Amino acid sequence: MGRFSFIAKRLLQVIPMMLGIILVVFLLLQITPGDPVRQIVGLRATEEQLDEVREEMSLDDHVLVQYGRYVALIAQGDLGYSYKSKQPVTSLIRDRMVVTAWLLTAGIFLTLLISIPAAIAAALYRGRAADQVIRGAGLLGLSMPAFWVGVMLLLLVALPTGWFPPGGFGETFGERIRSIFLPALTLALGSSPFIIRSLRASMISVLNSDYVATGRASGGSRRRLIRRFVFRNAAVSSVTVLALEIGFLLFGAVVIETTFALPGLGQGLVLAARGRDLPAIQGYTLLFAVIVVAVYLLSDIAQAMLDPRVEIES
Amino acid sequence: MTFNEYFPSPSDDSSSEQPLDSGGTPPDERGLWRRIPMKAKIGGAIVLLYVLVALFAPVIATHDPIEIDPVTRLASPTAEHILGTDELGRDIFSRIVYATRVDLPLGFLGAFLPALLGVALGAMAGYFGGWVDSVIMRVSDVVQAFPAYILIIALVFALGQGASSIIFAFTILGWVAYARLVRSEVLRVRTLDYVHAARVAGLSRFRILRVHVFPNVISQALVYLPSDIVFATLALAAFSFLGLGIPPPTPEWGAMIAEGQPFIRTNWWFATVPGLVIVGLGLGMSLVGESAEEALER
Repeated sequence: MGRFSFIAKRLLQVIPMMLGIILVVFLLLQITPGDPVRQIVGLRATEEQLDEVREEMSLDDHVLVQYGRYVALIAQGDLGYSYKSKQPVTSLIRDRMVVTAWLLTAGIFLTLLISIPAAIAAALYRGRAADQVIRGAGLLGLSMPAFWVGVMLLLLVALPTGWFPPGGFGETFGERIRSIFLPALTLALGSSPFIIRSLRASMISVLNSDYVATGRASGGSRRRLIRRFVFRNAAVSSVTVLALEIGFLLFGAVVIETTFALPGLGQGLVLAARGRDLPAIQGYTLLFAVIVVAVYLLSDIAQAMLDPRVEIES
Repeated sequence: MTFNEYFPSPSDDSSSEQPLDSGGTPPDERGLWRRIPMKAKIGGAIVLLYVLVALFAPVIATHDPIEIDPVTRLASPTAEHILGTDELGRDIFSRIVYATRVDLPLGFLGAFLPALLGVALGAMAGYFGGWVDSVIMRVSDVVQAFPAYILIIALVFALGQGASSIIFAFTILGWVAYARLVRSEVLRVRTLDYVHAARVAGLSRFRILRVHVFPNVISQALVYLPSDIVFATLALAAFSFLGLGIPPPTPEWGAMIAEGQPFIRTNWWFATVPGLVIVGLGLGMSLVGESAEEALER
């Protein structure tokens, strides 16, 4: 199958996937106990007022009709109104998006900064002390809850040095860098073990490959070979691995934003869940799912474009 | 004991591979014990310690974990309260001990039930094929598209806070990886000669699945269980930390870290120790998991 028909087919797969995702988010409303109309109108409303709102929202229609209408609303970018703030959910999301984008960008940057050198060292000195130390540190990293790591960084770094704010998100660029550094580091410490593990394996296979042996036999310097083959391969495959970890990173953002009181999407979801604000929960959940679908799609397309060896299954 | 023996890498198994019993005699009990790698023993000992603490919590704890004492709020460690008290005057040490009874079984169930469902669905998809396979795989596509832990937050919200909602949410969202693994194993195994032979001999499909396919497939899935227990334990603690997991006043490690965070300036041990307890369990379980993976690779 040609590359472009693969991409076209991959794009088409997104449609049923999105319908399934919207169905799950829609069902949240159906399985949540309690009357949603009561939530909106308040406890003191009369029966007539309740009926009026119910009429307005057409909640008496068949479930499938309601689902269809829900899909149509979402297609128009309407995610409903928050029970709590009475604002459109889309505007809540817009306000919080910037913070999460900062956290993920800085977190991914630090993850690569930690993982790539560590994986190269582990692959080159396989089985020796450096490899063992990196492996042990990875095991430790996998066992530490991110929120606890965050609290420990506050205790051991932020409080004694006073360089970083204990929480919140700054206004100016400099303040933002300072307020995002420890949260991003927390995210990176949690995700690096995954990246290091798979990078190490892929680099070992590159090091054992014929073309590296040929390069070595034809007198290429070790440093040049590493830069030319190993590092380049590592950079490309670490992006793929990171793409697969996007769900993990997003949950990390939820936990870390709550730990550091960062007003991002993750904190928004937690506050919405604590406040029983169903439309906001649906909006955030949908958005996170869309991010995952989009990242998987982009990574598949990027791989099909970049790597001529990709075997495309029908 | 060198560092290599604690953390042997899969590629270099010379250090961890114990000499096999020579001769045709079956390995005796001692030989079997010697062949278990050191890190599996260390990991197993750590996990066993947590199990014992959970079993004997009433004996080990010095106080009632939920008894409020307004007089000794936020006390520093003393002989009476070896880890001090929390904001409500409850004994922190006793709460950590009793929390083992919450986190340990829930972490285990949160990994075991999804594995069970995944193995069953994967075996059905792989063996029956056709529409059964299509339905199971399409559902797994949608489930996989969701960031699972985030959907768990939404589901637990809808189902009501508490242990049973969390375990239910883990189960219906966590089966996918197991189902895919087992499905591909079944597809491989069912082409083997002896399975053909069993079919020709007229065994029922269910019987073939149970007797011939299942035992081959299950070891693959079992190997992932320890690391999934680590993930489930960490996730459960995270949900409780967020205030969306185990509701108060039940002692739970993640919730205790959240309770301790506002007091890190003055009572640093309050948030620190429950975290160390989680890390200890995670390390023990990871060591067991790594040894299992390496044993299967050989």
